[in-house]
Amino acid sequence: MPIVVWQLVFFVFPLLFLLLMSFWLVKNYRMVPGFDSVNWIKMYGKGYFWDGYWRTLGYAGITTVITSVLAFPCAFALAFKVSPTVRRWAMFFLIVPFFTSYLVRIFSWQIFLNDNGIINVLLSSIGLGPFSMLNTFFGTVVGYLTLCLPLAVVLQLISLSNVDQRLIEAAHNLGCGSFRTVFAVIIPLAKIGIIVAAVFCFILSFGDFVSPYYLGGSKPPTLSILIIDTTKSGQQWPRAAVVAITMIVTLFAIMFTAIALAYRRRS
Amino acid sequence: MPTNHTQPLVLFDRVTKRFGSTTAVDSISLQIFEGEFLSIMGPSGCGKTTTLRMLAGLEEPSEGEIQLAGERINNVTVSERDTPMVWQSLALFPFLNVIKNVEFGLKMRGVSTIERRRRALDWLERLEIVDFADREISQLSGGQQQRVALARSLVTEPRILLLDEPLSALDANLVVRMQGVLTKLQKELGITFVYVTHRQSEAFAMSDRVVIMNQGRIEQIDSAKGIYRNPATRFVAEFVGANNILSGTVIAADRLIEVDTPAGRFKCVESSDHIWSIGDTTSLVISADLIRLSTSAVNDENEMECRFISEEFVGSIVTVLAETPDGADFRIQLQQRELSELDLKVGATVYVRWDSHDAHLLRDTN
Amino acid sequence: MIRAKIYHGLFYFYVALVFVFVFLPILTSFVFSFNSERFPTIPLGHFTLHWYTLAFTDADVWDAFKVSLIVSLSVAFIATFLGFCTAYTDYRYNFFGKSAYLALSLLPPTIPLVIMGLAMLALLARIGMSGKIISIIVSHVVLCSPFAMAIVRMRLAQIDPNLESAAWNLGASQWRTMREVIVPFCAPALISAFCLTAAVSFDEFAVAWFVSGLNKTVPVIILEILQGNTDPRINAIGSVVFVTSITLIILAQIIYMRKSTRKTLTGF
Repeated sequence: MPIVVWQLVFFVFPLLFLLLMSFWLVKNYRMVPGFDSVNWIKMYGKGYFWDGYWRTLGYAGITTVITSVLAFPCAFALAFKVSPTVRRWAMFFLIVPFFTSYLVRIFSWQIFLNDNGIINVLLSSIGLGPFSMLNTFFGTVVGYLTLCLPLAVVLQLISLSNVDQRLIEAAHNLGCGSFRTVFAVIIPLAKIGIIVAAVFCFILSFGDFVSPYYLGGSKPPTLSILIIDTTKSGQQWPRAAVVAITMIVTLFAIMFTAIALAYRRRS
Repeated sequence: MPTNHTQPLVLFDRVTKRFGSTTAVDSISLQIFEGEFLSIMGPSGCGKTTTLRMLAGLEEPSEGEIQLAGERINNVTVSERDTPMVWQSLALFPFLNVIKNVEFGLKMRGVSTIERRRRALDWLERLEIVDFADREISQLSGGQQQRVALARSLVTEPRILLLDEPLSALDANLVVRMQGVLTKLQKELGITFVYVTHRQSEAFAMSDRVVIMNQGRIEQIDSAKGIYRNPATRFVAEFVGANNILSGTVIAADRLIEVDTPAGRFKCVESSDHIWSIGDTTSLVISADLIRLSTSAVNDENEMECRFISEEFVGSIVTVLAETPDGADFRIQLQQRELSELDLKVGATVYVRWDSHDAHLLRDTN
Repeated sequence: MIRAKIYHGLFYFYVALVFVFVFLPILTSFVFSFNSERFPTIPLGHFTLHWYTLAFTDADVWDAFKVSLIVSLSVAFIATFLGFCTAYTDYRYNFFGKSAYLALSLLPPTIPLVIMGLAMLALLARIGMSGKIISIIVSHVVLCSPFAMAIVRMRLAQIDPNLESAAWNLGASQWRTMREVIVPFCAPALISAFCLTAAVSFDEFAVAWFVSGLNKTVPVIILEILQGNTDPRINAIGSVVFVTSITLIILAQIIYMRKSTRKTLTGF
């Protein structure tokens, strides 16, 4: 039971404290304990908060869809089209990125996407461009993909590897074409894994501040950037807490919906 | 070989085990003697494994008392009982090699490194797997793993060995070989084996006595032959062997007992000391291998006219399925040669008959 | 048949494309760490160790490495231990409130790191524990122990349920069984969990940035350099970190393999 104590003290308690703090006041750059809904009213009354909210939700949603769609053919090929040895190596190499610094990889993308970056230099040599890619939505998505794609492929690959090969053969045997088998048999069987992968993409991109900041140009801000700006510059911790609580509630709502969807029985 | 009948090695005294609202073992009483090979047999869920696990201390009885060598062991923990078990899954430690697996029990008892190595090697030698002492478990075949599991349990030289369906994962040929190994070992060591299985062939081939269990109760305890020839209950008659069972009423209870069944009237010499009276309901059990078959009537007693339905080969023995006058199935086991001499066509009329001594009466008829 | 071959080729091409996307930034950072140009782009300048010298003559960078090492090793140790306890409890026992217990042990990774950072900072500051190395360790253990728990739990799912009973049956006490059976059985998972949690902790920057104060870890230094002007020192530091963590992982793997082969060869 030691973990219960640990998690209660250092996980649940901080989050509860955050909730409590969202009702405190800031006077002369110092927090004063209290119980006032002013932070909630102020934050929820701000246009930029809601802009940020919907933007963050939209970014995360789009990233989830793009990542899932891009990851699937790769996971599918690794699960069904290659030898077990290749699959093991591929798995190993997909895990390697987790041991490299995300920040360093983002910095690398800056080198590529810069106005004078590698891509634009290459394009100009064949007479195209320059295109501005850094500090655009495109840049942000590249960052999100860096974060999410390997994980999505790994999770999808695990669930596809568990699909019973005989069921696929049975489908072929019953006259189901290759393409149709993917949608009629394989995807339903691997549904849980695919949804779990998507949920992880959503969680990661919803909370990440590095990609929208260093590849997306930080303006207009997402909620994570808003939290950092509010805490680091304004000392407005209670307001940051409001944003944080709103994010957690949103995330949990979406997570539970997705999990319910994943485990829903066919009626 | 049961030797000392006055002092059993193991005693179950009205032992009950409940899991929540289900009763797995229902007030069983059982004596197991020093040096005997006892099998507990029954369908899955009959409580045989639970009984064994209670003896090993892996389950605690809800009621009743278990004694080992005259001492109550209900509250003795698993690790303090000397009741080693051979598991269905073998449960060999995959991260230890063969010799380390065998040494495990000795190590737990604090036997010195040199001594336990010597004793483990002894046992590997005895079970003819000493060449594999340094192999990993995963490098062994099923039969070899079986021997390691046996050596691991026997190395502490216990008075009793528990075996929980140890052969169920092996293929048929290997099962017969391992049965030989087990019986030989048991005779040589002279220790008690308690063997749980759902397979009749294993229980009958090896045991001195067989316990038949059903729904948490003991149906019968007897030698293999006794159970085969004189099933005590309808359950045993149906579970064991290839028995034909005809339900009926006693209409004459003299030296010969005559029973009226829907298929006809039959006579029977009852061997048990039960007193039958007219009007008792009963079931007549006739083993399929004690029935003769012919194409014409001999007008013997205990003869019945049937219709030939089909035949089913099992090696040199063939089982004939026939239909009784009242439409029930009737099985006859013959030598393959005997059947081909009769040259039967499907639907042909056949006559089956048996000796009055070979029929057996059951007391319960439900 | 030809069509099948084309499909096959297309699949391979696509997989290759994904791997290029994944590894391009890693390799690029490596290449540019030796490039003389101040603003990294092509064509490359000449080979230089300038950025390495610049980075590693900086005392702050060295301090950060020291902090990171202390933090990640402590975190790996505590998180693996906690993860093992949780996984074993989940495997072995059924009790009231088990799902709440599991939720509590597995939920932390679903909370965005920025929020965890803010919450930890707010609480730790309140109880006078912020800005210390211990505050980073505590926060990282919260984040990492679920990973350790998951890895060990997956291993325990493969255990023969009779293995523990078999050990008791052979005379091992509960505690002895834990030491002689459960821990050895989980050893590969424990090693993986240790490496993974160490690596996660070593790379984590968001929470560390919030709670570290003056005890900056390597990723926090990188983050601060990133906030300034383009600076290829990031590539140098990043490459060293990458090579170190990969070496450690391969080393752990080799040690583990050597241990198991030696066992096979001699039986000791």
